[in-house]
Amino acid sequence: MVGKERMLTALQRREPDRVPVWEMAFNEESIIKLGAFFTDDLPPMKLVQKMTVEEKIKLLNTLFTVVRELELDGITSITLLGTEPLDEEHVKDGWGRILRISEEGEATAVGGPLSGPSDLRSIEPYHPQQTDFLMLLAAKGALGDDYAQVLVQPGPFRESWSLLGSMEKLLYYYVKAPGFVKDLARLVTDYILEVVDMAVDLGADIIALDGDLAFSQTTLMSPAQYEEYVFPFHCEITEHVHRRGKLIVKHSDGNMWPIMEGIVEAGFDGFHPVQPQCMDIGEVKARYGDRLCILGNIDCMHLLPFGSEEEVEEKVKETIRVAAPGGGYILSSSNSIHPGCRPENYLAMVKAARKYGNYPISVED
Amino acid sequence: MSELLERLKQAVMAGEEEEAASLVREALEGGLEPREIMDKALMPAMEEIGERFSRNEAFIPELIVAASAMEKGMEELKPVLSGEDKGRGLVILGTVYGDIHSIGKNLVRMCLEGAGFEVLDIGEDVRTERFVEAYREHRPDILGLSALLSSTMQRMPEVIQAVRAEDPSAVIMVGGAPVTQEFADRIGASGYAPNAFEAAVKAKELVAGKSR
Repeated sequence: MVGKERMLTALQRREPDRVPVWEMAFNEESIIKLGAFFTDDLPPMKLVQKMTVEEKIKLLNTLFTVVRELELDGITSITLLGTEPLDEEHVKDGWGRILRISEEGEATAVGGPLSGPSDLRSIEPYHPQQTDFLMLLAAKGALGDDYAQVLVQPGPFRESWSLLGSMEKLLYYYVKAPGFVKDLARLVTDYILEVVDMAVDLGADIIALDGDLAFSQTTLMSPAQYEEYVFPFHCEITEHVHRRGKLIVKHSDGNMWPIMEGIVEAGFDGFHPVQPQCMDIGEVKARYGDRLCILGNIDCMHLLPFGSEEEVEEKVKETIRVAAPGGGYILSSSNSIHPGCRPENYLAMVKAARKYGNYPISVED
Repeated sequence: MSELLERLKQAVMAGEEEEAASLVREALEGGLEPREIMDKALMPAMEEIGERFSRNEAFIPELIVAASAMEKGMEELKPVLSGEDKGRGLVILGTVYGDIHSIGKNLVRMCLEGAGFEVLDIGEDVRTERFVEAYREHRPDILGLSALLSSTMQRMPEVIQAVRAEDPSAVIMVGGAPVTQEFADRIGASGYAPNAFEAAVKAKELVAGKSR
């Protein structure tokens, strides 16, 4: 089996030849540190927004080298909306969102083109352009058809709040202006469907719908609010992806238990990353393993940054024992390989997956 | 009057901002002391919504609108609150350098304000020197540090050290998803809480302990 087949088989809850290994995201620093194990031709250590075009290409090539050398089964691309720099720490994207860039993670919207219900009509929707998918095109070109091409796209909740520049603002309107919340979700869902179409046309196999819906304690909204403001749009997006013959995964950190039933009902093929501090992967497997592929769960909060390689191996072994039998499990960290993760621990994670992840799974208690 | 205060409490809990402001005005016109309005309606409302939140019976949207209604009520009260009445004390809050996450800190702010604290929020991605400057300038009763990432959490001991160099008795609370009681103890924090509501409870304990 090649990686793509392995990923698609697992997502359809069948057993591939071995547990697929994939990662939703690597930061610049992690790519460069991992790349150093395999090549000397590395870009300088800085944020992608501050790199020259040549440096960005080198960063992508380093990522492709890591994927190839570690024989990962898929590669994740993000849309790169053209941005214009505002100052050292902020850029503005095609929607007019102001994003704060950070060494520790992805850029986050801190200001939006929308202030509230009064100016929704005046917003000019952004339409995706092929140049937004340069990373996907480059990944497809470099790695060919043997690797699953995953495109990460923020879901309707995240796209909505980022247009307001603040999650709290959107959650305030959940109570105060339900009509506005739905109109806004409609606007961004139309955009997401356009992104899906273009991504599929350009070679994406899997869509990962990003945007946390929960935090460590519980979901960001009540189950009733999820059902009213998010669920219908999730259904629409999964149906659209399936109509195009592709698969879709929902990503959310945090304790998603209150709305897990909705995530399954909405038609997602997989759920990532089952944050181990908040959700027990065995319980997720027992309750939803027959309807949902599970992705992730290898702790990147404490284990990958501070644990030993032996501890990582032990955790991978245990997770495979619990989640992999019968298929429907893709191994990855519990969020991303961020700069705090020890590169040696990531390598140990991949190695352990190969050691214990061969089907039929025979890991002892 | 107790019926009016009960209506005010309900209005805050329901996030009815205009209603809350108008009931505060009515209570003041009826001769109630500002302190009594705070203690018997506004703070109990936030305490109850906070408790429901910590039991997962209320969610962030309900907490946000209640905090907004409380704020509107407070706007009516502030001009008539006596100068000495500083509430429970001043808390300075910020997310440590490298970390741009805000929602956890903002929830803590809402719960602290609901508990009667004055809160100065110095934002996200705050450099250690900025915490020290803010501490020196305002001498808060409590300094609160937030981090969402296990990598940025490592900044917390540095901030604690720098602030304690300024004031060895500084009361410093830490919190955020990766933070644990064990980590808080190890880095010498004065307090930790696993969620926003309990952070307000802990803050009350810490200032009570300080004044003893």
